[in-house]
Amino acid sequence: MVTAAPTLMETRPAAPVLPPRPPAAAEPGPAAPASALAPAAETLIDIRQVDFFYGASQALHDVSLAIEHKKVTAFIGPSGCGKSTLLRCLNRMNDLIDGTRVARGTIRIRGVDIHQPDVDVIELRKRIGMVFQKSNPFPKSIYENITYGLRLQGVTNRARLDEVVEKSLRGAALWDEVKDRLDASGLGLSGGQQQRLCIARAIAVEPEVILMDEPCSALDPVATAKVEELIQELRSRYTIVIVTHNMQQAARCSDKTAFFYMGRLVEYADTRNIFTNPANPQTEAYVSGRFG
Amino acid sequence: MASTESSQPKHFLAYKGKFRLFGLTIDDCIKVFFGGNAVVSIVVLTLITYFLFREGAGFFGQNRRNLDIYRRAGLEYVDYIRTQQDDHTALTRYLSDLRLRQLRYLTQERHLSLAEANAKLGPFDDFAEQYGDAIEPIRTIVSDLTEQASAIKTKCGVAEDKLTERQQLLAEGRNADAGRVVVESVDFAAELAPIRATLPAWREASAELTKRISQVLVTAPAMPDPALQARLERFKELNATYVAGFPAIQRRLETWDYTKPVPAAQALTSFIFGREWLTASFWQDWYGVIPLLVGSVMVSLLALVLAVPLGVGAAIYVNQMASPLEQRFIKPSIEFISAIPSVVLGFFGIAVLGQAMRALSQVSWLSWVPGFPYSERLNILTAGCLLALIAVPTIFTLAEDALNNVPRAFKEASFALGATRLQTVIKIIVPASLSGIISAVLLGFGRVIGETMVVLLCAGNRIAIPDFTMGLGVVTQPVHTMTGIIAQEMGEVVQGSIHYRALFVVGILLFFLSLGINYVAQAVVRKYRVSIG
Repeated sequence: MVTAAPTLMETRPAAPVLPPRPPAAAEPGPAAPASALAPAAETLIDIRQVDFFYGASQALHDVSLAIEHKKVTAFIGPSGCGKSTLLRCLNRMNDLIDGTRVARGTIRIRGVDIHQPDVDVIELRKRIGMVFQKSNPFPKSIYENITYGLRLQGVTNRARLDEVVEKSLRGAALWDEVKDRLDASGLGLSGGQQQRLCIARAIAVEPEVILMDEPCSALDPVATAKVEELIQELRSRYTIVIVTHNMQQAARCSDKTAFFYMGRLVEYADTRNIFTNPANPQTEAYVSGRFG
Repeated sequence: MASTESSQPKHFLAYKGKFRLFGLTIDDCIKVFFGGNAVVSIVVLTLITYFLFREGAGFFGQNRRNLDIYRRAGLEYVDYIRTQQDDHTALTRYLSDLRLRQLRYLTQERHLSLAEANAKLGPFDDFAEQYGDAIEPIRTIVSDLTEQASAIKTKCGVAEDKLTERQQLLAEGRNADAGRVVVESVDFAAELAPIRATLPAWREASAELTKRISQVLVTAPAMPDPALQARLERFKELNATYVAGFPAIQRRLETWDYTKPVPAAQALTSFIFGREWLTASFWQDWYGVIPLLVGSVMVSLLALVLAVPLGVGAAIYVNQMASPLEQRFIKPSIEFISAIPSVVLGFFGIAVLGQAMRALSQVSWLSWVPGFPYSERLNILTAGCLLALIAVPTIFTLAEDALNNVPRAFKEASFALGATRLQTVIKIIVPASLSGIISAVLLGFGRVIGETMVVLLCAGNRIAIPDFTMGLGVVTQPVHTMTGIIAQEMGEVVQGSIHYRALFVVGILLFFLSLGINYVAQAVVRKYRVSIG
């Protein structure tokens, strides 16, 4: 974990480095209570009682949950339930949309309220990477795509950039496929490769958290499997929050799952519990495919 | 739906209505209506193109005859000698310029009064006068020959007119009348003999000129300043070159042959590379498009230099940075500019802008600006500023579209990586829409090069290639443009005359220029369009 510029989140010393866990471990853990305010051993992002509005329409109602450090948290729920909105609140991407506001509540990352006016949103977004629903590599070469974030930070050392490109592409399991054509356009890759390129681009700036907004919804099953494998590899180094429509995916990849419905958090618990023994009948109805 | 029972299928399918107009159903009529609209526009385009080319094509034949008569009537011969005279005149002007500089030096640096300075320049004035007089013998020959050659050309013209008249009468079937028209054919050999007989006289005059120049140059008084002395030395060098050119003139005069036909290509090259557009002249008409082309291009380029930063900058601001309220205000405002009739802009240019800019140019602390101060109110600068105003809405609208077409996903990805707004615009948005922006600029160029009213009113309408030795100050000179000349002269020319056709050829050139610009603009978009996967 490299926290190069500890300006934002200095309230707490850097988290101790956890020993890498075995990749495919979906730890059962003790059955967490269905309460959204379940105290976690290591809470990285603490969301409390958030109300969110698009203009006049309310998208989130009183959402509270704690996202744990170095775990994969999945947000599930039917379309329009507010899961993507919450995800985009975490790196303040909603700021780009006119007329949006957090009306109530706080989102704290390592204790810092990210909606305070003196928070540097640029710095925040460097620390919280994001992968979008539709792969969106820049119309530039693969190399330039990966180095974009670093160049923004003023890194020009060629050797350093080369090193980061290789490391990020290896980290995104793409190196072997593209190492001979780093100067080719990122748009020339296949859909799955493009999405992994976007993940590589996100991890190149060494964020602490990676937000994934339905990263596989536009991919075929083979590409989806590769991205999921990648998530398994990344979970040891990053805190990952993933929004998905695919319940199998949530079950396969995540440690904790939050189920949203109509802008409210219905249930938040260990993934295993959500899928095998949900506390809320609505959750059960959704995960068993009876609605949604 | 085959049915075995005979009673059922009768009413299973509905039949089309029976209504028909000229044997066509309603659907057909609608199709014909819309198809017809498309066809009309194609037909009109074809007709215009055809007309343009039919009228223009005749120019080359006429221009060749024009050049042919120029040679046969001896005008070309006379012009060889006239060059000699004109070059001398140019050198005389150099001397007057030198005198002006000396006067300025004496009054400003040496603080002499005007009278004293003029007195001090007495020897120089004698020198200049002697130099000016040296050309006299040549001038006499040229003016004699000019008259003679003009007379031959007039005869040719009369003979041609008669020939046309007879042909018209014959075409109308009035053979008797036609027989009465007498066509005097011109015997060029005989007519040209007196002109050519002046060759020995010219040789003598030329030798005399050479001698006098060398004598006069020795007597040149010393200059009061080293810089001015350098100019005088330069003058002597120029004279050496000038005199060294005499044998070449002599060779051309001796080998000149009026019977040598004018090459067909020259009808075209004299138009495209011709540096003179001179019409209704008593001597010889020239249809060279270069001054007009240079004028058009200069004015358009200046307009682009001003309009591109404005248009593209405004587009970036509106598209990427402005609040919705600002967008609602700025976009219609800029687009409203294109609603101003260009004649009103031209009128504004004459009455306000031209005046104001000239006044500004004469402010003393701005005299470091190249070309300032200037006295011509209407010039490239005035026209260019107004044309920029015309180009801005085009460039702005198209560039804004191009920026708008950049997928939102690029912007989000950039922001998510911690880019600022400015970094995102410069590194992602503008490169991704560059092809659209370039084509917007090119289309803006096409828009201004075809613009007529503003340049006609504000460019100054002097048919001459501007003096590029002034550097950037060249923009303070008046020019004429291709569009302007058509608008100005088309109303006055005789239909079917060479002048009339020359204007059509200018029109064709303009047409190709616009076509080329539009083609390149589209090619740029096609080639560099970012495919959004």
